Amino acid sequence: MMEWIRFGICAALMLTGLAAMCIAVIGVFRFRFVLNRMHAAGMMDTLGMLACSLGLFAAKGFSLESLKLLLAVAVLWCTSPISSHLIARLVLASENIKEYLEVRR
Amino acid sequence: MDILSITLLIFILVSALAVSFTKNLLSSIIIFMLQSLAMSVIWMLLESPDLAITEAAVGAGVTSLLFFVALKKIHGMDAAGGAEGVKHEEKE
Amino acid sequence: MKKKNENSRPRRFEKWVVKGSAALDRHLMRELEAGVGEKPFESERIVRREEHREEMRARAWLNERLIYIKLHERMRTKGERRIHAVYMLLATFAVILIIGALLYTVSQMPPSGSPDAPAFNTVAERYIENGLEETGAVNIVAGMILDYRAFDTLGESNVLFLAICSVLLLLRVKLDRKGGVVEGPPGSGEDDLRYEPQDDMILQNLADVLVPFILLLGLYIVFNGHLSPGGGFSGGAVMGAGLILYVNAHGYSGTRRFRLFSYGMFRWATFAALAFYAMSKCYSFFTGANHLKSIVGTGTAGSIFSAGLILPLNICVGFVVAFTMYGFYTLFRKGDF
Repeated sequence: MMEWIRFGICAALMLTGLAAMCIAVIGVFRFRFVLNRMHAAGMMDTLGMLACSLGLFAAKGFSLESLKLLLAVAVLWCTSPISSHLIARLVLASENIKEYLEVRR
Repeated sequence: MDILSITLLIFILVSALAVSFTKNLLSSIIIFMLQSLAMSVIWMLLESPDLAITEAAVGAGVTSLLFFVALKKIHGMDAAGGAEGVKHEEKE
Repeated sequence: MKKKNENSRPRRFEKWVVKGSAALDRHLMRELEAGVGEKPFESERIVRREEHREEMRARAWLNERLIYIKLHERMRTKGERRIHAVYMLLATFAVILIIGALLYTVSQMPPSGSPDAPAFNTVAERYIENGLEETGAVNIVAGMILDYRAFDTLGESNVLFLAICSVLLLLRVKLDRKGGVVEGPPGSGEDDLRYEPQDDMILQNLADVLVPFILLLGLYIVFNGHLSPGGGFSGGAVMGAGLILYVNAHGYSGTRRFRLFSYGMFRWATFAALAFYAMSKCYSFFTGANHLKSIVGTGTAGSIFSAGLILPLNICVGFVVAFTMYGFYTLFRKGDF
């Protein structure tokens, strides 16, 4: 019985993560402006990775490999939003986005 | 062979061709970086972790970074939205 | 009588009631036009950069147009066009021929992993069977490249050293502490860091947390080259990447605080690493030629101080690679350390 519960939790979390990643990939391909695409990609890195690795954590139990997995997710959470922030700063400084904005500056 | 190996090999072929046929220089460098990353995963599938670490650190890291800096030095990163090689459209 | 303010709120309300909303709109439009007349806030830096970019764009467009004009003139005559067509045809045919020949050769080879492949011969067997006892390294690959074939690795480190020397010769522009050019060709010293957002607090805090871990990982990979996968080249590349991240986060004023990142220290460290490698190779050749037993024994397999000279050589190679990567990056960006 415990096996089935564990399998169910793992499957639900992995499917959530995969769904988030699919939606993010569709967003990266379909948006027109850089900042929108970056928003979608950021969702993939944080939410998708968290859900997938929590699913694997639930499957394996509390062992050394699961802790290593969570450590990898922690490092990814540190670096990916920073790179999104830097790309946004670069876009703001270089591209003429005033003509795309809907709210006047 | 595995379906994963076949997928990665096709990915490398397609991205290597795409590097040549892309007009946007910035996009070419990013696709080159992707190719290095896929190569690193293939090295891992062939059971040689030394080469995987080296390829990831050098190919998908430092080499691509040097390409970006070189692109900046030749002012190829002008124009809104990234590099377009050298602009040759009519100036009004 | 008190002079009524034309634009006060009760007066505007009156106008709206009497004359309709058109009067109010006119007043609003007048206010907006009066306000929008001056240029919006743009710093001088951005204006200068825009002008510079326009100039570059115009120049590049002019160059491109000249190339196309010349090409068009060349292609005009009929004979030229015919020769060009024949050349393209022959080139395609030759390429297809070579691809076909290579594919045929590959299809004739035995599948990978079968016992009669050319890769399985007595040399590989000898290395795999006697590798652990003779070198003492658990990682056979490290034992191969740093014990059996250490002379080739000396050549590789030499190539890296030569590369950084040539980049130094070509790209180095001596800068003083403030960033001004001391000596160099005219037009150099254009620090492109001036046009970018600097002093990013988020990046700096992240770099303060992450860079020690990255350098620690690089050192771990280098030190455990003979026990686990890795070795000098991988660890050196990781260390170089960590140094590049630090330079990006703190700028050159931040890294000049450390004596480590100066030109003199870089010179001495790279030279010392390569010289130590060469000296240890001399020692190995001397003891091998005279059938002496070297001082540095193989030790017990699995402990960190084993495998003879592989650990010091790994450290040398790691430092050469790390400094080469860092030197490339900083010479490209700025022209000096």
